[in-house]
Amino acid sequence: MIETGVPKLDEFLAGGIPKGKSLIYYIQPGVEGEVFGMQTVYNSLKSGGTCVFVASSTIPEIIKTQFKEFGWDIGPYQKKLFFVDAYNPLIGVPSNEKYVVQNPDRIDEFNKTILNILKELPPSTIVFGSLSTVMDLCGEKETIDAVRNWNKMAMLYDHIMVYNFTAWPYSQETLDTIRKDLFNAVISIGGIAERVIFGQYFGISKSDWTNETKKSMLFRVLRPGGIRLFIPKILVTGPFDAGKSTFVHALSSRAISVDRLGTTIALDHGHIDYKGFSADIFGTPGQERFDPIIKLLSGESMGVFLIVDSTNPTDFVRAKHMLEITKSYGLPYVVIANKQDLSGALTPAEIRKQFNLPDDVPIVPAVAKDKIGIFEAFEVLLDKITGGI
Amino acid sequence: MADTIDLIDHLLSDLKKVGGVEACAAASRDGLLIRAIMQKEQISESFAAMSATMLGAAETATTELGKGIPNRIVVEAEHGRLIVVGAGPKALLIVLIDPSIGLGLILLELEKAAEKLKELLT
Repeated sequence: MIETGVPKLDEFLAGGIPKGKSLIYYIQPGVEGEVFGMQTVYNSLKSGGTCVFVASSTIPEIIKTQFKEFGWDIGPYQKKLFFVDAYNPLIGVPSNEKYVVQNPDRIDEFNKTILNILKELPPSTIVFGSLSTVMDLCGEKETIDAVRNWNKMAMLYDHIMVYNFTAWPYSQETLDTIRKDLFNAVISIGGIAERVIFGQYFGISKSDWTNETKKSMLFRVLRPGGIRLFIPKILVTGPFDAGKSTFVHALSSRAISVDRLGTTIALDHGHIDYKGFSADIFGTPGQERFDPIIKLLSGESMGVFLIVDSTNPTDFVRAKHMLEITKSYGLPYVVIANKQDLSGALTPAEIRKQFNLPDDVPIVPAVAKDKIGIFEAFEVLLDKITGGI
Repeated sequence: MADTIDLIDHLLSDLKKVGGVEACAAASRDGLLIRAIMQKEQISESFAAMSATMLGAAETATTELGKGIPNRIVVEAEHGRLIVVGAGPKALLIVLIDPSIGLGLILLELEKAAEKLKELLT
């Protein structure tokens, strides 16, 4: 089994890709999907595996530069990473790589090289940088037949096959075969333009070793960094003086606030990179006179932190009201029982009772000013968000 | 999807070419960055969030007073001017300009661009 290295995807796939299986990244045109195959290569190298990268859409040198741009140093793995050059011969340039496809517009030449690799190398991860280019050069049906054969051979020799494939308008039959039939697992990668968030998502549309289908996640591609799961907006709200700004600043790697006389008057904005996730955090003011702004800025949140002052139960009514004005009911939310270090702080259980909160709403005890409990809370909310879509 | 992003990029790069424009960005009304052309890329998200807050606060203030929706907000600082205009119900457009440049042409181009952005997002 190897891990794909894509955050959350390995979890969805029950640990990664088992030996002998094939997986395709099925990419909508216009979406940055090629990085998926590369991230899988790098991750597999890091855990000691042998990898083959089939370069069919550009020269291997450029692929190597791309690895560098993502911040992935492949230098130490020279002996473990092989490139198949299926591009230089096309433009008539001699190749420096060990494996070369002499005539990349003929599928039998591909066959020769790939079958040779499958037989010669120890169990490896073989990644096609772009199966769609192979298809463009060698024909749809020819390529499908060849891939079917490679996947079978890979199963026999315990290799793992990974393909990047851009779903250009090929024949419906070809696309259907690829989506439903040809591979053990299909990861769909696409874009959304719903409302105004321009996001990219990936999700499992098929996997024959787990039952986890239809889960999907938003992501963005960072250079360096590679694939980061992306949560466009997490809202932090709660009554006056509960510690919302402190919480935003404690959680964020960088944050700014608009505050006067010690209280937030417009908003806090923070950004966090944590365990493969990247999220923007919006903190609202707490005082009632700012309610119109809160309404305005709380749209399109994916999750909510409700901060309460554990020593001040009279504020709980206002806290509930804030969930209403931010239209947060229905979104995943986590209650932060802040100021646990002060005497007279109620325990989470007491808060749940006084607040009359359902059992499935997590309450996390925290001391925001000392950064206690906040990352735990973030993980709890992430679980709620990623489990819910 | 990709086409809309390309068109927005195109619109912003046209706007950036107007004399005196130092940076520009498109954001959603609720403060999420759509695209930006600015040098300090890492702060473009908070730039978008703050601009949306200002425009939102200004609109709330003037409509509460019965004076209608403001056409734009102009923030004058020592080393630059910031202008935010609404672009339809979903989005807004922000430019940062050199303080020594006259506003006339920029405002005109900004209105045009806002109108285009509104069309792109409907």
